Formats: sequence, structure tokens, C-alpha cells
Amino acid sequence: MATTATNGNALKIQQFSSSEEFSHNFLKAKPGIWNWMTTVDHKKIGLMYLASVVFFFFVGGMLAITLRLELLSPAQNFMDADTYNRIFTLHGAVMVFLFIIPSIPAALGNFLLPMMIGAKDVAFPRLNLASFYIYSIGALFTLISTGLNPIDTGWTFYTPYSTSTGTAVIWMTLGVFVMGFSSILTGLNFIVTLHKLRAPGLSWGKLPLFCWSIYATSIIQVLATPVLAITLLLLIMERALGIGIFDPAMGGDPVLYQHFFWFYSHPAVYIMIVPAFGIISELIATFSKKTIFGYWPIALSSLAIAFIGSLVWGHHMFVAGQSELAVVVFSFLTFFVGIPTGIKILNWVATMYRGSILLASPMLYALYFLFLFTIGGVTGIMLGAIGVNVHLHDTYYVVAHFHYVMMGGTVFAFLGGLHFWWPKITGKMYNEFWAKVAGVILFFGFNLTFLPQFIMGSQGMPRRYYSYIEQFQSMHVYSTYGSWVLLLGFLIIGAYLLHSMFRGEKATSNPWNARSLDWMTSSPPDEHNFPYSPVVIHGPYDYHKPESEFLLGIAGSDHHEEITVGTETKVKQ
Amino acid sequence: MSSHSHHIIPFRTLVATGLALTVLTILTVGVYYIDFPDPINIIVALSIAVVKATLVGAIFMGLYWDDKFNTLILLMAFLFFFVFVGITLLDTMFRDPSIIVY
Amino acid sequence: MAEQAQVRAPHVQHHFASSDQQFDSAKMGMWVFLFTEIAFFGGLFVAYIIFRAWNPELFTLAATQLSTPLGATNTLVLIASSLTVALAIRAIQTDKKRQSIILLLSTVGLAMVFMIIKAFEYAEKFAKGIAPGAYYTYEGIAHESASVFFSIYYMMTGLHALHVVIGIGILLWIAWKVHRNHFSSEYYTPVEISGLYWHLVDVIWIFLFPLLYLIE
Repeated sequence: MATTATNGNALKIQQFSSSEEFSHNFLKAKPGIWNWMTTVDHKKIGLMYLASVVFFFFVGGMLAITLRLELLSPAQNFMDADTYNRIFTLHGAVMVFLFIIPSIPAALGNFLLPMMIGAKDVAFPRLNLASFYIYSIGALFTLISTGLNPIDTGWTFYTPYSTSTGTAVIWMTLGVFVMGFSSILTGLNFIVTLHKLRAPGLSWGKLPLFCWSIYATSIIQVLATPVLAITLLLLIMERALGIGIFDPAMGGDPVLYQHFFWFYSHPAVYIMIVPAFGIISELIATFSKKTIFGYWPIALSSLAIAFIGSLVWGHHMFVAGQSELAVVVFSFLTFFVGIPTGIKILNWVATMYRGSILLASPMLYALYFLFLFTIGGVTGIMLGAIGVNVHLHDTYYVVAHFHYVMMGGTVFAFLGGLHFWWPKITGKMYNEFWAKVAGVILFFGFNLTFLPQFIMGSQGMPRRYYSYIEQFQSMHVYSTYGSWVLLLGFLIIGAYLLHSMFRGEKATSNPWNARSLDWMTSSPPDEHNFPYSPVVIHGPYDYHKPESEFLLGIAGSDHHEEITVGTETKVKQ
Repeated sequence: MSSHSHHIIPFRTLVATGLALTVLTILTVGVYYIDFPDPINIIVALSIAVVKATLVGAIFMGLYWDDKFNTLILLMAFLFFFVFVGITLLDTMFRDPSIIVY
Repeated sequence: MAEQAQVRAPHVQHHFASSDQQFDSAKMGMWVFLFTEIAFFGGLFVAYIIFRAWNPELFTLAATQLSTPLGATNTLVLIASSLTVALAIRAIQTDKKRQSIILLLSTVGLAMVFMIIKAFEYAEKFAKGIAPGAYYTYEGIAHESASVFFSIYYMMTGLHALHVVIGIGILLWIAWKVHRNHFSSEYYTPVEISGLYWHLVDVIWIFLFPLLYLIE
């Protein structure tokens, strides 16, 4: 393939090299707090999200440590039932709404998506900044709620309890309502960016799989979050005015609230996990040095999950009093979600088969993910079966299931992605030895924490109780010890990443020899991502082609024109 | 390149659409005063509403001349609405009668 | 084509390659936003359908409290406002700025007429004791969950009215920017996408009107 080609207008496509000694990177451009706070650069906004979600992960994590400490022994230790209720509610709400939903899409997605498609920014940069501030305002409201009277309803805000409890439900739900808008606007921005801002030559079939997963996630965000907004608005009105739509005393129906809530919140669990799938696709292809096996099945299964995931919300309500017909339909549909997920796992494993696998720390996280997520996914299918569900409903089995998916899945993938792109984001390498040590500790600690919960759950230990019968003590003790191991693992990660930021070795532009566009620029990237307008001729996983053929572009950065490259004509802007 | 999205809608088309919408509004109110049996009246009223909404979408909002993907977005919105209603009705309409519905 | 791209029009933001790309992006963004609006109102329509399926007789009874002539008038007012905003876009596309401003301001005027009529409707109901939720005191409807119908009515029309008020603000701002010569036939994206928003407000009312006022 020629590295220069011309079209009728004599626009030259040239080969570039990504500079290793680049001094105009985005971190140095326009320094100062005020410039950071008013920036419309997607990379800086991504980093502000990253800092926020890491902070809230710490907050949510410390709440979890507190809960586990209380559960060390059967009777009351240091908190009463009421306090326990408030703390587990806060743990859930903080982790779900403030950490995990914005974690991968808003932090890593914001940083990487425009770079992966060779764009200079997202489609609506100011809207992007607005999303961040809307998220901050939402966080502020939840903080106000916590300051006034922390809520004790569980993160699901089920009526009629949430409309009758004396705690500050309105502030909390208002916070979640506001954060929902942030999520919607981010999703909207990404959808338009992917449709309209792809670099010349970057057809849908050459999109990195991370972009596909972000695309599917954005669709769910745009589709489901408005329903959460209306649900919470109705809940707020129910509390403020007593409108009675969910209140059986006034002719309303509390199960309807659950329909409304889960129509958002079940797809929301795919907002949490689908971006993780994207990271895993990138990691496994890059560290196996192989073209990904089954590009289209992986790409389209994300969309299939987005679609099927919108049909299964009622499996959270099997014992809530919905009709038996609905129960059967929801159970039936739930099993279908396993298909696209299984397709992904198969393709990842097939990609690794006969690859030249480099077991660097990001790849290790991907392998931990495969192991943990498979357990989480399969137990989810079990919970989708009606009879099993009735037995296991609201037990620790469910708790263990969603922690295997959300933490074993999303958090491990997030860590894998963070390590993978850390050199690109900061321009520094981290200590690989300690990264591996921390990964092993996390994997061990995670299983020690949550495996016993499967066992005690299947034996009947109900969730959301601050005390329990002595039969379950040994399991609870293991679980609490596990939480301390997890804490240790995260502290090590925090330590070496901080060290790397200030004292780390300088990273090259492409330390992992990846092929997608995000690596075809200096580390950290240029203020406008690329000093030229990238042109794409190869797929993102064409490891059999030399890296130099991925560094094509048009000099200057303001031209996107119709270009003919070899035999491939594409490029519509 | 995308001149289709810069279509200038003819003045007469716009005014004619406005008039058609007015006529349909009068029609739907007129039909209201005619006593159709129960499901038919709702079907008639909603059919007129759908025609009106289609007119607004196709002409006023320019979907007829626009990128077809935007129409797809609109249709998807209705598709998911029907999924939401349809599946929820599977519950609310088929509850066990021995459980008292308030 | 190439010559076009050499000279960047001042309204094209740095990350877009061309004016058309920017216009198409903005328009698609607005359509995705309208999607979320439909999903948002969709939740209320779902509540409406489920409660109507449960209590068909309540809806027939309660709808008699709503004034069909006022509702029909408001429908016509909104349709007229949709027409004026579509004509305003046409005017700016053909560089008739003065005409565009007049049409935008007439849209705002019609929107205000809508709000005034709505206010009269609300006031008449409040006077009767038909208030939302727990404040409902009206005795005239012999049905135990009569207040739920009006809760849904107030939520639907209230949220719609909120959208009308936001629309008034947006259209005034757009008219001001037309007045300040921000837009021309070269660049009128904000006028067009605000128009899309306003049409959606109209479409939602087109469904609300038969569903709330025309129940027999």
C-alpha cells in the first residue's frame, strides 16, 4: 500500500511519525485552575471525570469497608440497624450513580473516543463540559441529602417506603435526577461524535471495538435515562404533593414504580458493563498481537445487549407481585441476554488462541475479568430462572452475583483500561512489578470477599441486614477479611500510580505496539490530539501490517476532503 | 455534500400543512361529539393524532427531505415506548384476581 | 469542494471540517435529544395507559371536567405557532431577517396565548378543589381514585407547559440573535434546531389533547 496518494484535488496523504519529544501536549497547554475548569478539551474533561469517579470509588469503598466491619460478628457491633440501612444505601447510590455509571464512558470514553476516531474533540465540546458540571451539581445534591438526613431506602428508592420515610429522599432523588441529565448528554454527544466526526477512511467496520461498546452504551443512556428522570420526578411529586400514582392508599400501584425504575435500572447495568467489554476487546487484541477474532459479532453483540437488555427489567420483580404471565415472559427474555454475552467471551478466548500473548498487567486484568465476569454472568442466568430466583431473591447470592459482574467485571476492566492507557494519558510508565502484585492481591481479595457470599446466600442469608444468626458467621468473617485484602490492593495501586505521575519513567507514544489511532500520537497527546488530520486505511487490529502505515494523514489539520486511497474510497464528512 | 439537509421548504407547502392540521383538529373535535362504540372512538382519535404528528414531523420538521437516519431515531423512540407499554401491560392486565387491586 | 474548505467561515468550530458537518452534527444531536424527550414523556403516557386500562370509567367521568373548547383552541394555537416557526426558518434561509424576527416573535406570542389559556383552565380547576394529589378536595366525581386521573393530568400538562415556557425563552433568545445579525442563509443552525424543539412540543400536545380532553 502506497503511503502517499492523491485525489483529484491533489491533497497529499503523508506518513507522519509520532513525536517522542513533544512539548505541546494537552497537559501543558493552558495551565491553571481556571483554564482547567472552563476547558472544552475532551481530554481534560475526561481527566476531571476520572478524578471524580476515583474519589467517589474511594468514598463508596470506605462505606463498604465499614459495612463489612459491622458484619464481622452476628450481633450489633458499633452501628445500629438504622445506621446500617443508611450506610448500605449510600454505598449503593454512590457506587452506582457517582462511580460506576460515569466511570468508563465519561472518564476513559471522553478521553479516548475522539482520539480513536481521529477527531479533534467530541461533537459538542461545550455540552461536554456542561455534562461534567451537571454531574457535579447532582453530586452536590446527594451530599446535601447526606448532610441533612441520610436516606435509608436502598439505592432503588422503592415506594411506598421512600414516600413515607423521614429521611431526605427528595434531595437524594433530585441529585440522581440531575446526574441522569449528565449521563444523557454524554451519551448524546458520543452518538453524534461517532456518526459525524470519524476521520477520513474510518468506516464503521474499522472502528475500534471500544468505540462500538461506547456507542451501545450511549444508546442505552439516551434511551433509558429519561425514564429514570420521569420516575424520580413522579417520586418527588409523590413525596411533595402526594399525587398517588405509586401509593396504593390513593389508588396508585407500587409495583408500577418498580416497572418504571427497572426500565431504567436494568439497562443501566449494561451502561455499567458494556463499556468494560470494549476495554477487554482492546486489551485482549493488543496483548495477543492478533487481529481480533469475530470483529462484527463482538461489535454487534454490544448493540444486541443494548436492545435485549431493554426487554428484561421485570426479572428484578419476580416476587414483587407482578402477574405470573409477566414473570414467565421476563424470565424467558432474560435468558436471551446470555447469548450476545457468550458470543463475546467466545471471541475473546478465540482471539487469545495461538496469539503471542504478553502477560503485562493490563492483560492480567483482562484475564481476571474473563474469570470473574463469567462467574457473575452465569450466576445471573441462574437468577433469571423463576424457581431459583424465588429461593435466592434478596439473599447474599444476589449480592455476590452483581458484585462479580460490577466489581469483578467493570472495576477490573476499568483498572485494566486505566493501566493500559495510563502511559497515553500521563506520558509516564507505572511500576509493572507492583502493578502485577496489586492485581494478584485484588483478585485474591475479591474472591475471598464474594465467594463466601454465594455460599451463605444459597443457604438463606438475606441481604440488607446488620445482624444475622451464628450459622453464617464464618462466611461473614472470610468476607470481611477479603474486604481488607481488597483495600490493601487498592492502596498499592494508588501508591504506585501516584509515584508514576511524579517520578515515573517517560512513556513512548506506543508502548504496547497497538494499532488503533489513539496510540498514533505523542504521549500525552497534542492539545488537538493530532498535529495532522489522520487518514485511516487499515483496521484497528491489523497487527500484521507495519505501524508506519497507521500514521497516515493530511498535513495541517483543517482539511477533511474526499480522498481516494488506493482502491478504498470512503470518507464522507 | 449534505445539501439534502439545507432544503428550503416552499411557502405553499408550509401553509398547506398548517391548514391540513387545522382541519384535522376540527375533525377530531367533531368526531368526539359523534358517539362511536368504545374501542373505535379511541382508535379514530389516535389515528387522527398520528396523522397530525406525521405531518408535523415530515413537513414542519423537514424529515421528508432530511437524512433518513433522523427518521430512524424518531421511529426508535416510538418502538421503545411500545416495548415499555406492551410489556408493562403484560403485568398490569394479567394480575392474579385474588390479589386485590386498589 | 476543495476551495470551499480553504476559507473557513467564522461560525465553523475548530473541530469540524466544514460548515455542513457542523450543521448535520447539530441537527442529529437535536434529534437524539428529541428522542430522550419522547422517552421522558413516554413514561407519563405509560402511566396514563395503565391507569386508563385499570379504570376506564374513571377516565370517562373525569374528562368531563376538562373543557374541550379550550383544549381545541390551544391545539389550534400551537399548530399556528408551529407554522410560524417553520416560516421563520424559511425566512432566515432566504436571508429575510426582519421577517424572521417577526415570525419568531409571533410564535412567542402564540405560546403565551397558550399559557394564558392553560392558566385559566388550571385556575378554574383549583377553584373547584381539583388540585393535584393530596390537595384534591373535589366531590363531584364518584370514583375513589379520581385524584389519580388529575395527578396524571397535572403531570402531563404541567411538564408540557414547562416545555412551552422553556421554548418561549429559547425563541426569544434566537430572535435576539437574529436581530444582532448572528444568523444568515449561510449559518442558521440554532434557528433550525430550536424550531425542531418547538415542533416536538406541538407534537406532544397533539397526543395529549385527544387523550385527555376527548374521552367519551
